[in-house]
Amino acid sequence: MIDKLRSVSLAGLAAILMVGCSSTVTMEAPTIPEPRIDKIPVDVAVRIPAEFEHFVHVEEVLGKDTWTIDLGRSNAAFFTQLFGHMFDSLIVLGPDDDPRDYQFDALIEPAIDGFEFSTPGQSQSQAFAVWIRYRMSVFDSVGNRASTWTVNAYGKSQKEGMGGGDSLERAAVLAMRDAAALIIMQMDRTTKISQLANGPLDPESVESDTVFAEAGTDSEEPASVIGIFAIGGIDDAAE
Amino acid sequence: MLQSRFLLIFLGLSLAGCVTSRVEDAREKVTGLKDDQSVVIMTKSYHQGNETEGDYLACVERALGGGSKGINVIPHQQFVDTLFPWFEPRTAPADTKGLPALMDRPGVADAITNMGVRYVVWLDGDTERVAEGGSLSCAAGPGGGGCFGFAWWQNDADYEASVWDLEGNDSAGTVSADVSGTSFLPALIVPIPLIARTQTKACKGLAQQLRAFIVQ
Repeated sequence: MIDKLRSVSLAGLAAILMVGCSSTVTMEAPTIPEPRIDKIPVDVAVRIPAEFEHFVHVEEVLGKDTWTIDLGRSNAAFFTQLFGHMFDSLIVLGPDDDPRDYQFDALIEPAIDGFEFSTPGQSQSQAFAVWIRYRMSVFDSVGNRASTWTVNAYGKSQKEGMGGGDSLERAAVLAMRDAAALIIMQMDRTTKISQLANGPLDPESVESDTVFAEAGTDSEEPASVIGIFAIGGIDDAAE
Repeated sequence: MLQSRFLLIFLGLSLAGCVTSRVEDAREKVTGLKDDQSVVIMTKSYHQGNETEGDYLACVERALGGGSKGINVIPHQQFVDTLFPWFEPRTAPADTKGLPALMDRPGVADAITNMGVRYVVWLDGDTERVAEGGSLSCAAGPGGGGCFGFAWWQNDADYEASVWDLEGNDSAGTVSADVSGTSFLPALIVPIPLIARTQTKACKGLAQQLRAFIVQ
């Protein structure tokens, strides 16, 4: 009887220790408020990549604990809301949809280039911080790549409560809102997406890089690459 | 009876830390607040290195809006969401020079008028542990347990509130609170915490002065 009690106690202790060494945060889809802006007069399609349907990031803090953040569909919901607020009209395409079946002036294909976060233990502070790097590929109505734009977003939230899961989620939401603010302020200026309302790019000025021929691939050099950096100012260098 | 007295003494001691505070303001213009006007409390952006705690912001909001002399306070998240994306950490104006351009953005001036916001108060600063010392050890065994020793720590709360007047798109002045508190934890079998509530004192002091500054 005593042996059995000891085994149960040890199993319980092991379970508690294992729980203590890993934390999982599951994100709800964020709500992006309707921005106070004039809509950009372009009919846009956004193709949501498959990874946006279920994005999971695991961060192992060396010698300490493991943090897992499950973004779920939050990125898909984020871009659908954001572009719905920004443009005259929006069509949402899935990863398997063929853009040639739809009418639009410009196609935007967002992707996550990088996702990182730091815990209070790593940063020696009382805050969680999240960095997200999005890559936005913009194509004209016939599939010529108009530009590629990198958006670096940052969110930070003070640790509250014992676990910190809510604070990490809050930091991720703030990073998404930061990306939204940047995209709203800079997208037309840097990608010149509104010019695509006048028709597709001039064929002579376009490199042989089309999205409709190879849906979802992104291996060739873009016609235009624009970077915006969250920390240390804004860099609008366009090739 | 004796037990009740001990309990009261214990509670009294628990609340009695050693706190010194200085709250002052610097006025740049005449202020005032009508019944239909309100105030928003914000924290300066973490993009600029500010570390003001969320619970401090919530405390100032509560202290400013509470009580019989409370003034109208719009919750900061409601204000930020209504004016999205112009008061996000990246986009919020860093000084009053950015206010005229902000007001010219579509729907911003109307939204501010509809909410009745007259003043935006920007909080800057944080509470830090600046010193600590002593030692305390606890032990437990089959016959019981206890602690022995003495520990202390000092927290400094330095906050500044910049008041922007949205009627004139200019600065009305600043209110600052500088509070230092030392907490003690002596233990002779039972630890007796003598906690200095530094941040709470800085919150209440700043909110009180801020209310007087705005209402006059």
